[in-house]
Amino acid sequence: MWAKTVTGNFAKVIHGLNANHLTDQVIQRSKRMILDTLGVGLLGTSTEVCHKVAQYSKIYSSDLSSTIWGHLDFRLPPVYAAFVNGVAVHSMDFDDTWHPATHPSGAVLPAVIALSEAFPQKKKISGLDLLLAFNVGIEVQGRLLHFSREARNIPRRFHPPAVVGTMGSAAACAKLLALDQQECKNALAIAASYAGAPLANAATQIKPLHVGNAAKHGLEAACLALQGLQGNKQILDEESGMGAFYTDYNPQTLPTLQSYPWLLEQQDVAIKRFPAHLATHWVADAASSVRRKLVQSSENLTPLDKIGKVILKVPEVRYVNRPSPASEHEARHSFQFVACSALLDGSMSVQSFASKNIHRPALRELLCKTQLEHPPDNTPSFDSLYCEVSVTLQDGNTITDRCTTFYGHWRKPLKKEDLEEKFQSNVLGILPTEAMEGIIETVYNLEKVEDCSVLSTFLSGQSARALPKKLRFF
Amino acid sequence: LWLKGHNFFASFIRAARPEHLSPTVRQRSKRMILDSIGVGLVGSTTRVFDIALRYCRLYSSVAVSSVYGKPGVKLSPTLAAFTNGVATHSMDFDDTWHPATHPSGAVLPALLAASQMLPPNTKPNGLDFLLAFNVGLEVQGRLMHFSTEAHDIPKRFHPPSVVGTLGSAAATAKLLSLSSAQCCHALGIAASLAGAPMANAATQAKPLHVGNATRLGLEAALLAGRGMEANPLILDDIPGCSGFSAFYSVYQPKPLSAPGEHHEFLLEKQDIAFKRFPAHLGMHWVVDAALSVRNLFINYAGSFSPSLIRSIMLKIPVSKYINRPFPSSEHQARHSFQFNACAALLDGEVGLGSFSESSIQRQELRELLDKVVVEHPEDNVANFDKMYGEVALLLHSGDVLTGKCDTFYGHWRKPLSKESLLKKFRSNASHVLPEEKIETIITLVDNLENLADSSQLACSL
Repeated sequence: MWAKTVTGNFAKVIHGLNANHLTDQVIQRSKRMILDTLGVGLLGTSTEVCHKVAQYSKIYSSDLSSTIWGHLDFRLPPVYAAFVNGVAVHSMDFDDTWHPATHPSGAVLPAVIALSEAFPQKKKISGLDLLLAFNVGIEVQGRLLHFSREARNIPRRFHPPAVVGTMGSAAACAKLLALDQQECKNALAIAASYAGAPLANAATQIKPLHVGNAAKHGLEAACLALQGLQGNKQILDEESGMGAFYTDYNPQTLPTLQSYPWLLEQQDVAIKRFPAHLATHWVADAASSVRRKLVQSSENLTPLDKIGKVILKVPEVRYVNRPSPASEHEARHSFQFVACSALLDGSMSVQSFASKNIHRPALRELLCKTQLEHPPDNTPSFDSLYCEVSVTLQDGNTITDRCTTFYGHWRKPLKKEDLEEKFQSNVLGILPTEAMEGIIETVYNLEKVEDCSVLSTFLSGQSARALPKKLRFF
Repeated sequence: LWLKGHNFFASFIRAARPEHLSPTVRQRSKRMILDSIGVGLVGSTTRVFDIALRYCRLYSSVAVSSVYGKPGVKLSPTLAAFTNGVATHSMDFDDTWHPATHPSGAVLPALLAASQMLPPNTKPNGLDFLLAFNVGLEVQGRLMHFSTEAHDIPKRFHPPSVVGTLGSAAATAKLLSLSSAQCCHALGIAASLAGAPMANAATQAKPLHVGNATRLGLEAALLAGRGMEANPLILDDIPGCSGFSAFYSVYQPKPLSAPGEHHEFLLEKQDIAFKRFPAHLGMHWVVDAALSVRNLFINYAGSFSPSLIRSIMLKIPVSKYINRPFPSSEHQARHSFQFNACAALLDGEVGLGSFSESSIQRQELRELLDKVVVEHPEDNVANFDKMYGEVALLLHSGDVLTGKCDTFYGHWRKPLSKESLLKKFRSNASHVLPEEKIETIITLVDNLENLADSSQLACSL
């Protein structure tokens, strides 16, 4: 009998989904997300914010412990491993983005990996178990985002990963822990009481903690549910439940389990090519294109000196409108900064946000000449926005380009080689080559991996040679 | 123009001094500390506490902080704060303020845990502790004044999880003597850890709201102390990009004056309500009204004879989460006007035992519940400063007996006497502690300002 409440229905679906429900498309897309997330997380372990949270978390320890990505020298209890690794994933705003808007993988993957390592009764978790749990966590987030029209636009009040990410993490962990339906309901209910962080902390050092905390608290909620803690069994149904985070809220039941239609099937994610807010990716592509035209059309090697004015036509997104960013976090959330960087350098990279590059005089000069315009037809939605860059030279010539779909967006997904290149470039210097290649191979064959702890082994920097027996496929 | 309002808060936290605590504020806050501890001690006998403790014991390193009712058990500071916060709110027995929140449970556990965390030669004294406690209360109160919404019984987010988290961060920042900038960031970090929906009230998960408020506020301060930075304008109102305003639909922030020679703490003008039995504050009005009409009824009929009653009319404010005609769990029973009225009518009092499984399921009680009818008079606003409770017994004979309560005993307008407060504390603490320990705690709190090492309080639990 189908559950009468939306909450009960969610619990039923979380509980009832199994590996047979995963389609090829979903498997393929989710593995790409997993690979990208790991790379981004590994790179992120080198950030200051990640160092701070790792140091902080060392005050906790336990008999059960999980890998901190990129580190062999210390481990943490699962909840804190999920926290630290989640922070790492979002530390540079380099992780995936979905539609409706959230960063789905960072809230889920660190939690399920950490949990898989510290399983009660030391049970072995297969790659397929991990893949299924991951997808349950993604699916729940997507479904929740569809409960509100507000969610279709770039957020203004609560940062979505802190809201739906916490719920997704709880669902994924509930799945991995094989909680029964009652326990799944409670995991969701408990998670709701941890959800939610205001958007104003975006573009600050705290933002990565939104994802870290989503992963951590979702896992904690599932663990508390396993211990028997109970919450409101209609948490998704009530306005004073999940509805508290939205001004319009219309919960719906999920489709039946029979040939379950995963959202990831219909709607892919966007993978970023450089570590900054997604909206800046349109600006970067348009600016790079304008620069190419500028250089081509000019005999002068540095036409950039002759720039009089730069106009950016962008959607109205308050927290990405920063004319003069002072920190790396602010620079990653600045249309103006990315446009000027791309105009100066031709393309964006991890290095574009280094302190010396943020503060270079040529860039500051160009920033002063940059203005934003918000055409009314430019809606603040990642599915429909566009960016136009117009550069007017001192001689009066104007060169313009518009980007409606950047490379990496779901409408123009990264090719396999480019996804791999991003991963390799991120991981270089953090892990030895063997471990890096071990991760790629394991993720590509994830559904056949017998014991997914081999992934954690690689993540800590050990190579397959150290444990020959672990890398076994079904 | 609202400029850097957030920094006003940080400056306040930093600049507040013990001299700013008036005698009234000291006295009231010490009463709150005592009540909070007692309530936490009895709360350590609950199932929800059990679950929280079992969970936290998975993490054992740097276990320096005490747990209510468990001598010999220590946890790491934030987890001790969490567990003790859960204990405090586990039975809905803790204090309530106006505008509405449960202020002490969100602050005290963090301070107790933090006091044990600091190295021996830097232990804060009792006065520092009391000051930090009051800073935590003050910040919560000031934040609630930013929204007219906060004056009424909440509907969307549970206030302890919103202002409580920032109060805990402020109090801890004070105790740890963080710099002004760090205090600022502690508040910003805490904002990203705040907010739990009301729907979990009246469930077993509700106590976690207070547990997490105190724990995550402590965590925010610890992170700030390690250099973590957040948005310095988190309390300001910035259209299109919500900060703390995310939790309210109407939000008007105001600066907090830096304490000059005299700072008037909100607690000076607005006292707290202490509960006489473990249930939602709203229940206390109907219980006092029910007890009053019960007396009338006994005078009328000689004894309490339910068969003479045709219907029981309750006049209560509109508030969905405390209007439950047939509660099925202890958590629901603590949030049911109907249940509390009937229990008072039947038993002549409401106490700890009223919410046991057997008490909730009693046949006589269910029969009385069947007779209850609820009305929401327009003049009965859902606001702890203005509401009233009225219980009318409509008898088969046609007679009507009525009891009304505007201000229950324990409300800030009619505060508990010292004897009553001590009686409540002793009764609560005796569930888990021997007499000498109980008396030690009473003495320590009473002489808090003279204590050389405030961690003694935590160690005595």
